[in-house]
Amino acid sequence: MKPTSFEYERPDSLDAAMRLLGDNPGAKLIAGGQSLGPMLNLRLATPSLLIDISRLEELRERAAHDGYVVLGAGVRHAEFEDGRVPAVLNGFFERAARQIAYRAVRNRGTIGGSLAHADPAADWPAIMIALAAEVEARSVRGSRRIPAADLPNQALETCLEVDEIITSVRVARCGEGARVGYYRLSAQPGDFAEALAVIVHDPQRGYTQAVLSGARQPPQRLGQTARAVAAHCSGNGKADLPAAVEADLTAISGTHDLTSYEWKVRRASVLRAAQEVCV
Amino acid sequence: MRRLHMTVNGEPVRAEIEARTSLADFLRDSRLLTGTHIGCEHGVCGACTLLMDGEPVRSCITLAAAADGREIRTIEGYEGDVVMDVIRQCFSECHALQCGFCTPGMLATAYDIVTRLPHADRSRIRVELSGNLCRCTGYLGIINAIEIALRRVHGRPAAAGATRSVA
Amino acid sequence: MGVAAGSVKGGIGASIQRREDERFLHGRGQYVADIMLPGMLHAAFLRSPHAHARIKAIRKPDGREDRVIVAADLTGLKPIRSSPNFPNFKHAEFPVLAADKVRYAGEQVALAIAETAAEAEDLLHEIEVDYEPLPPVVDMKRALEPRAPLVHDHWSDNMFCETRFDYGDLDAAIKAAKHVVTREYRMNRQTPMPLEGRACLAHIDRRTDEVVVYVSHQLPVPLQIGLSQVLGIPQRRLRVICPDVGGAFGLKTYLEGETVAVTWAAVRLGRPVRWIQDRYEHLVCDASCRDHWYRVTGYADVSGKLLGIDCEAWCDTGAYSPWPWPAGIEASTAPGNIQGPYDVKAVRGRAVTVATNKPPGQPYRGVARPGACFGHETIIDALARELAQEPHEVRLRNLVRPEQMPYRTATRKLLDSGDYPAAMRKAAELIDVSAVRERQRRGEPDGRLVGLGFAAFYEQTAYGTGPFGYSGWGIELVPGLEPATARLTGDGELVVDVGVHSHGQGHETTFAQISAEVLDIDPGKVTVRYGDTSICTTGTGTYTSRSTVSAGGAVATACRQLKVRIARIGAHLLQAAEKEVEIRDGRVFSASGSVSFAEIGRAWYHHPEDLPPDVDPQGLTVVAGYKAIDGGVFSYSVHAVVVAVDPAVGHVDIIDYVIVEDCGRMVNPMMVDGQVIGGLAGGIGNALYEESPYDEQGQPLAATLADYRVPGASSVPDVRIVHMETPSPLSEFGMKGVGESGAIGPPAAIANAINDALRPLGAEIMETPMTPQRILDAVERGKLKQ
Repeated sequence: MKPTSFEYERPDSLDAAMRLLGDNPGAKLIAGGQSLGPMLNLRLATPSLLIDISRLEELRERAAHDGYVVLGAGVRHAEFEDGRVPAVLNGFFERAARQIAYRAVRNRGTIGGSLAHADPAADWPAIMIALAAEVEARSVRGSRRIPAADLPNQALETCLEVDEIITSVRVARCGEGARVGYYRLSAQPGDFAEALAVIVHDPQRGYTQAVLSGARQPPQRLGQTARAVAAHCSGNGKADLPAAVEADLTAISGTHDLTSYEWKVRRASVLRAAQEVCV
Repeated sequence: MRRLHMTVNGEPVRAEIEARTSLADFLRDSRLLTGTHIGCEHGVCGACTLLMDGEPVRSCITLAAAADGREIRTIEGYEGDVVMDVIRQCFSECHALQCGFCTPGMLATAYDIVTRLPHADRSRIRVELSGNLCRCTGYLGIINAIEIALRRVHGRPAAAGATRSVA
Repeated sequence: MGVAAGSVKGGIGASIQRREDERFLHGRGQYVADIMLPGMLHAAFLRSPHAHARIKAIRKPDGREDRVIVAADLTGLKPIRSSPNFPNFKHAEFPVLAADKVRYAGEQVALAIAETAAEAEDLLHEIEVDYEPLPPVVDMKRALEPRAPLVHDHWSDNMFCETRFDYGDLDAAIKAAKHVVTREYRMNRQTPMPLEGRACLAHIDRRTDEVVVYVSHQLPVPLQIGLSQVLGIPQRRLRVICPDVGGAFGLKTYLEGETVAVTWAAVRLGRPVRWIQDRYEHLVCDASCRDHWYRVTGYADVSGKLLGIDCEAWCDTGAYSPWPWPAGIEASTAPGNIQGPYDVKAVRGRAVTVATNKPPGQPYRGVARPGACFGHETIIDALARELAQEPHEVRLRNLVRPEQMPYRTATRKLLDSGDYPAAMRKAAELIDVSAVRERQRRGEPDGRLVGLGFAAFYEQTAYGTGPFGYSGWGIELVPGLEPATARLTGDGELVVDVGVHSHGQGHETTFAQISAEVLDIDPGKVTVRYGDTSICTTGTGTYTSRSTVSAGGAVATACRQLKVRIARIGAHLLQAAEKEVEIRDGRVFSASGSVSFAEIGRAWYHHPEDLPPDVDPQGLTVVAGYKAIDGGVFSYSVHAVVVAVDPAVGHVDIIDYVIVEDCGRMVNPMMVDGQVIGGLAGGIGNALYEESPYDEQGQPLAATLADYRVPGASSVPDVRIVHMETPSPLSEFGMKGVGESGAIGPPAAIANAINDALRPLGAEIMETPMTPQRILDAVERGKLKQ
């Protein structure tokens, strides 16, 4: 399993990287290489040029601002795991990052890479949507902000143009009393998620969001679930939570097959994430 | 072709390689350091795990070019390392290897656990080992070895292991 | 039987650390991929993307024709043909490179050779093949329907063979039975997944005029024989070296087309050629084992004593019959073991072996025994349910009792020794049946369902020449006297050569221990050699858990004879009578003095003037052959497991696991544990995780490790193991084999536990792996029934 031949450049500035990307339609960016590496080896990706952005200081920002944090696209999962990244919700980044693949992968894989790769069974895309994060994407043509929810088109595809680089992620800090429910279902630790449910409830900002993703299921927001969780947490009863979950699942899957395996694990995952928030 | 230079097991190395060469293949073929094994080439089995700048990485999905300027430590590079000596001794005492193919990657991960997570308990050890597959041992010997190594390295008294033959 | 074991330091019974560890812990193992020869070329195989297709044309890239090899180029090869003597067995060649047709996705079509592995892979993409796709057969039942596409055009249907037997009087059992339980179950195709895939490196040694082939393999001499026959190279000019092997588990036991093609190419090109299988290739091409379907019926009397068992076993063995283990053996083995460790007088069996457009079936740890065990153990549990009794009690009623040993089973196996009921009682005690039942009554606060399951079974190990087994089946590989050579060196140390191979079993240590036991020599002064046909010239290799008994017995025999020779020379040097000397601590002692083994070696090797006049001209080299008994010796085990099933998501946690096992006298107990636990992990993979599925077009669906899941460190529980060391009366030191037993029990035990947990839901699962999806589907079916 050896890759096809390609050229390799390691530009020393973001501008240089963007120019290279703009000038070479067959080029791909490589940061940690944990998703791209296997694809290269399997010859599922056959770029003519790899542009290594893993050492660009401009992508390594880790800044806490008033009410939000900015995380460079090149920040690695291990840094989240070790708590070396400003927090948005106490301990959540550490907890989520620890479950991504294995330490050797986390030492190299980056948040920008994870968001750009958009594997439905990966972790950060769903989490960033649940946190209503925004991604900054830049190219030689300028820069734009993309809400995390708008980034994935479908499995393994984003709305990024071929010459755009994700440079940073901006995440609002949750207020006091914020809670998170996070349920990740996989056969063994480190496996890709069969189902991943993330629910964030921030009463101080009046913000509640629920997201479901997992194998074959790109991340989807669950509006009724979020509303039901918010209602329960503010003391307005929880009896309608399963119904809200089922309504959301019906909407996103287009079916209502309660006996199917997919339905059951998704439903269970969302309810278990909700349980964590609602106790 | 790309020129690179890196440090491998303390020695400076200069080479010219095809860009598509993985770090694992570079070390094995050009440096004859065949202790790093290739088990899957998609970053799952962990056999190729080695230390880059002191951190375990998958050499099968790391380009040699991406390791330019880095310090690489392969299984051949622990001469005189007291912690690795302890880990190796524990591996042998606990029968933590059989065919030996996963062993260099296991040792790299074990080294990371013992040095980075001095308070890791048995269940944490299991989770940290999820990225190193073994088809021979069933893992219990490896878990036992790391448990004991943690105690010896960090100076704690021995405790009863979990898997023992009962007479 | 020789010296009582355990009396010697580092001898039998000692859990000494392994000699092999030193090189493996320092990355100095030498696997095929680590061997580099000057001028070495690299090979890659072009493989069929279709499960079934005619090859209309192959076009080599211009200017590179000499570096691309296709079937038409392979002149001088004899066909690979492997057929047992089963009635009506259908024959077909196993192509080295596909010629007119491809018969499974992944079948090799061409060989590309280049200066680097990456360039060889590039070259594959320049080869053009015109395929005419044909409809494939992917399901073994559908493969036997009328008008199913034929895998082999000259066959009348897709059945390789069918075998039947009828032992005892099953019709009488059926008449007398008060309880009849039937189960159908499926064990889905798997891949052995050793960490090191297959590999070979061939070159010509000009000095010795030999073709030397390094192969990651378990059977050096049989491979030499097979390669010699197919390539037409005399055996004396063909040297096979199996270096360090990174796991094998039965996969690496056949004459691989890749090895033949690479060797042919190396000879043709006059340069070394190396092929290293990559993981994608392995998961596609070696998805080759355990593709079984069974229907088993137990007939029992009113008290739950089994009177008879009927077993129908089907095996989907893929497109070809490999050499030397042909298609047909695996299916036929299952019914022959369906009565398990129970006293059952009548057994009827039918085994059907079917060809499909999938990779050719290979043996894998346990072979058909995990399937047979699944059968008898789920039947026993079904019987227990019908009787409203505890499953372990029904087992105790049926297990062969110690006073019946040696016990001839209805299927003509001679169980040599052991106390099966004691093992069952011990397992039940350790798992604490009543505590589990109490826990089940209380229920789990998190809503999970707890279940308890057992599996009792024997493992037939180290069997020999026949007539039952290999020679009776007409197989090209028949084990006979297992060889060992023991030689005292000029400086008084020991070299032992054996014909078995080690791919993790630690033979360099265990055979040193056996030598130490007999000769009272420090095991650190013993070198054990294997794997090179120039050194170890005979012996059939490592398979069916035979090495400890067969090769270990040969080592003991050789050392015993060597001991006599040493004593004779020593007595002469000490001027004492031979019967007045004894050997201790690497020295020969008389009443008045002693000489070291080194002095004895010195005399033989370069001071013959000191030797006795009647010295044996074979000197200090002994060649011995040994066999325990043709029918083999039988280890046995009881596995007990407690699981917790999450009924919402189908996830299974193993919360307790006990193994009570008896493999006779243990040479190195630490290493026996290693074999049992390693087997357990493989069995858990079989039970819960591993599957190589195919779609309707015969396309493999688990081609990367993202899809093919093997157990990781979190999936093997802290098992408690008890060893009952009942020596076999039939082997040296009472040893028995143990390599596979850890893998035989778990699918049955875990299935029984899961089904025990799901019982309140009216659900039952009878298909492996028992994935969350299958468990939830079983729960759904249970709801419909209720």
